[in-house]
Amino acid sequence: MDFANFASQLNAVTILPEGIVMITLLGVLIVDLIVGRTSSRWIGYLAIAGLFAALGALYFLWDSTNPMSFIGAFNGDDLSIMFRGIIVLSAVVTILMSIRYIEQSGTALGEFIAILLTATLGGMFLSGASELVFIFISLETLSISSYLLTGYTKRDPRSNEAALKYLLIGASSTAVFLYGVSLLYGLSGGRTELSAIANAISIAGMSQSLGLVIALVFVIAGIGFKISAAPFHQWTPDVYEGAPTPVIAFLSVGSKAAGFALAIRLLTTAFPLVTEEWKFVFTALAVLSMVLGNVVALAQTSMKRMLAYSSIAQAGFVMIGLIAGTDAGYSSMVFYLLVYLFMNLCGFTCVILFSLRTGTDQISEYSGLYQKDPLLTLGLSISLLSLGGIPPLAGFFGKIYLFWAGWQAGQYWLVLLGLVTTVVSIYYYIRVVKMMVVKEQHEMSDAVKNYPEVSWNLPGYRPLQVGLVVTLIATSIAGILSNPLFTLVNNSIAHTQILQPTAVVSTQVSAINNQQP
Amino acid sequence: MLSVLIWFPILAAALVAILPRKIPANRVRLGALTLSGLVFLWNIFLLLKFDITQPGMQLQEYLPWNETLGLSYKLGVDGLSILMLLLNTLLSWIAIYSSSQQTERPRLFYSLILLVNGGTAGAFLAENLLLFFLFYELELIPFYLLISIWGGEKRAYAGIKFLLYTAVSGILILATFLGTVWLTGSSSFNYDTISTQTLSATLQIILLVGIIVGFGIKIPLVPFHTWLPDAYVEASAPIAILLGGVLAKLGTYGLLRFGMGLFPQVWSILAPTLAIWGAASAIYGTVTAIAQKDIKRMVAYSSVGHMGYILVASAASTALSLVGAVAQMVSHGIILAILFHLVGVVETKVGTRELDKLNGLMSPVRGLPLISALLVLGGMASAGIPGMTGFIAEFIIFQGSFSVFPLPTLLCVVATGLTAVYFVILLNRTCFGRLDNDLAYYPRVLWSEKIPAIILAVLIIFLGVQPTWLVRWSESTTTTMVAAIPPVEKVETRYIASLHQ
Repeated sequence: MDFANFASQLNAVTILPEGIVMITLLGVLIVDLIVGRTSSRWIGYLAIAGLFAALGALYFLWDSTNPMSFIGAFNGDDLSIMFRGIIVLSAVVTILMSIRYIEQSGTALGEFIAILLTATLGGMFLSGASELVFIFISLETLSISSYLLTGYTKRDPRSNEAALKYLLIGASSTAVFLYGVSLLYGLSGGRTELSAIANAISIAGMSQSLGLVIALVFVIAGIGFKISAAPFHQWTPDVYEGAPTPVIAFLSVGSKAAGFALAIRLLTTAFPLVTEEWKFVFTALAVLSMVLGNVVALAQTSMKRMLAYSSIAQAGFVMIGLIAGTDAGYSSMVFYLLVYLFMNLCGFTCVILFSLRTGTDQISEYSGLYQKDPLLTLGLSISLLSLGGIPPLAGFFGKIYLFWAGWQAGQYWLVLLGLVTTVVSIYYYIRVVKMMVVKEQHEMSDAVKNYPEVSWNLPGYRPLQVGLVVTLIATSIAGILSNPLFTLVNNSIAHTQILQPTAVVSTQVSAINNQQP
Repeated sequence: MLSVLIWFPILAAALVAILPRKIPANRVRLGALTLSGLVFLWNIFLLLKFDITQPGMQLQEYLPWNETLGLSYKLGVDGLSILMLLLNTLLSWIAIYSSSQQTERPRLFYSLILLVNGGTAGAFLAENLLLFFLFYELELIPFYLLISIWGGEKRAYAGIKFLLYTAVSGILILATFLGTVWLTGSSSFNYDTISTQTLSATLQIILLVGIIVGFGIKIPLVPFHTWLPDAYVEASAPIAILLGGVLAKLGTYGLLRFGMGLFPQVWSILAPTLAIWGAASAIYGTVTAIAQKDIKRMVAYSSVGHMGYILVASAASTALSLVGAVAQMVSHGIILAILFHLVGVVETKVGTRELDKLNGLMSPVRGLPLISALLVLGGMASAGIPGMTGFIAEFIIFQGSFSVFPLPTLLCVVATGLTAVYFVILLNRTCFGRLDNDLAYYPRVLWSEKIPAIILAVLIIFLGVQPTWLVRWSESTTTTMVAAIPPVEKVETRYIASLHQ
């Protein structure tokens, strides 16, 4: 193999965004090492600048003619660009949130941002990984960074407990995932690229074998853990309650998006032969997630736990798009994750602001907030109503598109269940709105009675305000002005080779041709 | 042109919401009143431009919005919706007018009312199913807040109940809309591109039942009505006016537009059931109203009864009965508004709504004579006394539906009689009798509190003696709608005919 050919197969420009993130990461670490604590005034903005540069690089790579890079290990197609964009954006907002929060907890900001950027890197690589070992490495990069972030506020026993629980469940689910992956490697006779695996398995005539089904189920267990689908959701409420709030904002959006990216890529390329089976499994997961997430959220008294169960339920809604398995289905997933980014991060920003000012997360402590802090009330109300799917907010359009795609694909019962559980979800979202807006002056909680003067000039509050206002505006108008976003996500799906029916058919046809002597 | 009706109130709502905090409540009220009055004037202007000879959609507006979802911004007005729009803007204005000068948290209150006004106008104007649904769901949260912040004692319970019932209704409607559009293979949710001709009768019936139940919760029909007494009674007077006067019309309008309009073939199959259902609803509403001890509850149940007539009329679907249905929607809106306003005034002045405690309000010096007189007028209008708009609407309905469904129509006539019974009870216990000498030191009724009721009373009498102004708008539209429906199976007529032989 001559060098020019090798370089063209390497195609290293595809990972330019990740390269930028990596340089930023190193920069942050080194600056923190040299300058020390005082750097925390501006180190966050350095990281944000790096992430925006990565976004710019992603834009530059849009619709690239040759997305395959690193000899089939990484696929930089438009689907991966969408997911990498979502992960980068969620990291940007997470950093905006965390500057004050981490400072107030008395821990170092530089290390926190470095670990967060590592997690971002893992998620970005996971979005385009198309080789088994590379999938595993990026998945573990994301996971280990997540464990570290979860236990970052190490003086807090709840944070410690959450980190341990998360590590135990995460490590075992990774092991299960790894077992599934190793089965795939064996079944395909020693292939690690996803596209080659499907081919090799169909040639070997094992398209319906028990081994393939076991591999499938094990892999789904690993993915289900990342997207917190019931029954692999048990870590979610505990981790969300214990971990620092900016971390769970990232986990609920960035990590979940990475999990869905992995699900789409892995299931459509490596398991096209057992599509019926994985659709069946995911139908079960979606039903369980929607029912359990929405019903259990009704009984929560802590805001963070409630958002944990609501995120389980939202994962159930997104799975409708995956099960539909059509172009519209995948687009609706990406679109929903995009608007979920805005509304969930807006919600978490408000939760952080409230707990920074009052030090509590109990839902009952929110009563009467409208008098003391109208902006926070507006932000949290809009984001929660959007999560509940109230028009004309972004979440309404996201849900409509998901249900529309599901209905088109004939998943009537799933859509009906989604609709019914949406009603349930409106109840617990509105409960918080009721606390903040409806409660009278004399019903005000103690935390709100002693609410400090609203001031944005304290160090680290300004970025929180910027993050809140930007996500609030996005949540409010991304629905009404959804057409450009729809065009974007539809294009990203239409331009993605692996999701085109012709691609799957041609691999199968070539496999059958190869089978004939 | 039509967009103004939607966007002007919504922008006004935003404007009112961001007014500075130090502006007193009565100034905010005045501002909202002016803005809402402007919308009403614009609506009158549209009414003048409306061509009553044309059956189809007029003044249409179209903007592509979201091709992928089949959602487009398509508006239009026809004979079915023009009066509903007018009712909406008029009653919003009256609701703001009848609100207290010292409303708490005035900016939120008036901006929510204006928001509801814009959203309801959007639902009546939408020619795209998804757009309709968007505006329909837009009512959910503002009304929830309006009930549960400024309501009576049990407002929290009533608010949540209203919210959940309405959300379920929305879900049913969305599911049927998705089903209709996808099963017919239509490329978008635009009303005029959907044709259900290709579907089998069974499928059409399933979809139609979804629509009937979805809107039936909102109307409300009898087994789904239990949110109504709580929500109407716990809401403050202006909100009750909007809830009963406008929001309930959204249900009947939706039933006619989307039930009858989209499924004309199977409408006649379900019509007999609907007619009996409507008649049962009417009887139930009136009988329950007789048993109430609270005047607001009585008025709330009278609403259940009156909406039953509309259902019977829609089921009969003759040209005459549909005109009657539209007329009844309007007159029920006006009559309910005057009754709720007066009940609100009585409650604030006397301090109670209990039938057992109220007495002798007609007394000219120390009672509330004008308010009582108007209450008598409102009660008579509601009971269907000639000379007032309620009689006209009911008579057209009975005339139009008797030939098709004689038995349900007769039941409705009985219900009208019973309506008279409970209103006589109500008037007898509140207006007549003697005042309690120790307790009767009521505050004076201000002119500003009388004006809305006087306007509505004039309207009731004017439309009662000059009913052309009530029916001329919808005639051509309803005639075309009826033409699409195959003649209803005249089961009962045949039955009666066989008795004669």
